[in-house]
Amino acid sequence: MSTAARTLIALLLIAPQAMAQDARLGARLDKPTLAAVRAIVDSARAAKLPTAPLVDKALEGAAKGSDGQNIVVAVRQLSMQMASAKRVIGSNATPDEIKAAATALAAGVSGRDLARLRAASGKRPMTMPLAVLTDLIVRNVPVATATALVVQLARSGVRDQELALFQRNVRTDIDRGADPSVAATTRARGLVLRSTGSGNKPSE
Amino acid sequence: MREDNEQDIERIARELRVPVAVGPALDARVMRAVRHLPRHARLGLWSRLITPRTVTVTPLVWGMLAAAVAGFAVLGAMHAKEDLRRAAKPIATAFFPSAKPPVRSQRVQFVLVAPDAKKVAVVGDFNGWDASHAGYQAQHRGGGVWSVTAPVPLGHHRYSFVVDDSVWVADPTAPRVIDYDYGMPNSAIVVQEQK
Repeated sequence: MSTAARTLIALLLIAPQAMAQDARLGARLDKPTLAAVRAIVDSARAAKLPTAPLVDKALEGAAKGSDGQNIVVAVRQLSMQMASAKRVIGSNATPDEIKAAATALAAGVSGRDLARLRAASGKRPMTMPLAVLTDLIVRNVPVATATALVVQLARSGVRDQELALFQRNVRTDIDRGADPSVAATTRARGLVLRSTGSGNKPSE
Repeated sequence: MREDNEQDIERIARELRVPVAVGPALDARVMRAVRHLPRHARLGLWSRLITPRTVTVTPLVWGMLAAAVAGFAVLGAMHAKEDLRRAAKPIATAFFPSAKPPVRSQRVQFVLVAPDAKKVAVVGDFNGWDASHAGYQAQHRGGGVWSVTAPVPLGHHRYSFVVDDSVWVADPTAPRVIDYDYGMPNSAIVVQEQK
């Protein structure tokens, strides 16, 4: 297929989405903010980053009544975080993985830890592990502890459904007054032992 | 003298009453002569069009005409239906029919306990953060429990509840995300295909 044909097909694929995104932004943002957000979105598109999260970020800001300057800062920050996330987790990452990884970076996870989680997940999607990791940090589990636990769970081959259950259990424990770090560590240990088939040890 | 005249008249009348024998070639001769007459230049085509004439149609021709009329009617109806279908599509989809793949989604139930609320809506990436979106208005189920079950595309999303159009509340049962940008909390949801 020629380059011109590929370009045309790419344009046909991108154009409707870009038009729809632009229309939504145009309806909610003032002109200077719209122009700035458009520029960031165009740069992200050129860098082959997902653009929908940037548009959503701007729409979220408008819905929350934030001023234009704050919206532009937030969109630019997300764009930079997504670029960093993509560099770390690889160009084959899905838009959802890039979005979740950017959120984890914003929560304080380092690029090195993100790379560790990528390696531990293998070819499995890392969207759910990243969402659980971010939630643990938000619930006051120290970043180092939370990262180590989720990397361990990913390395043990724990499935997404089990990870979601783990997150719910830790949340319940914390809501009942448990120390966040202890709750997360205890629940993670139990899950790893179950998934490796040695969950009958009396010590657990 | 008068009698003689009457006899002559009677004789002439008898002769006139005798039918004239017309030869079989007379019609052809008359038509040949008519064709050779000069036509009226201005009324030639027009007179042809307006002159009534008898057309003989066989039952077979009637059947073919009826079939042709029915065929045109069916084709017309099909075109009209297609035009209506195209008109109903959004413009972008109509211009780029295969550009946007169908978005797969799952129905997700959102629940919030808010005893004092008058109105609860769900906003997020999946509805453009639009608190007035009709499909994401929670209903009061009684006892302070509000819920709505709505389609959410597969993938990672951030969302929140908006209570009484002003208070943003993160879903207490869902993973949280750090969103300091706008100073209001959000939750995360990962929607996956059900196996």
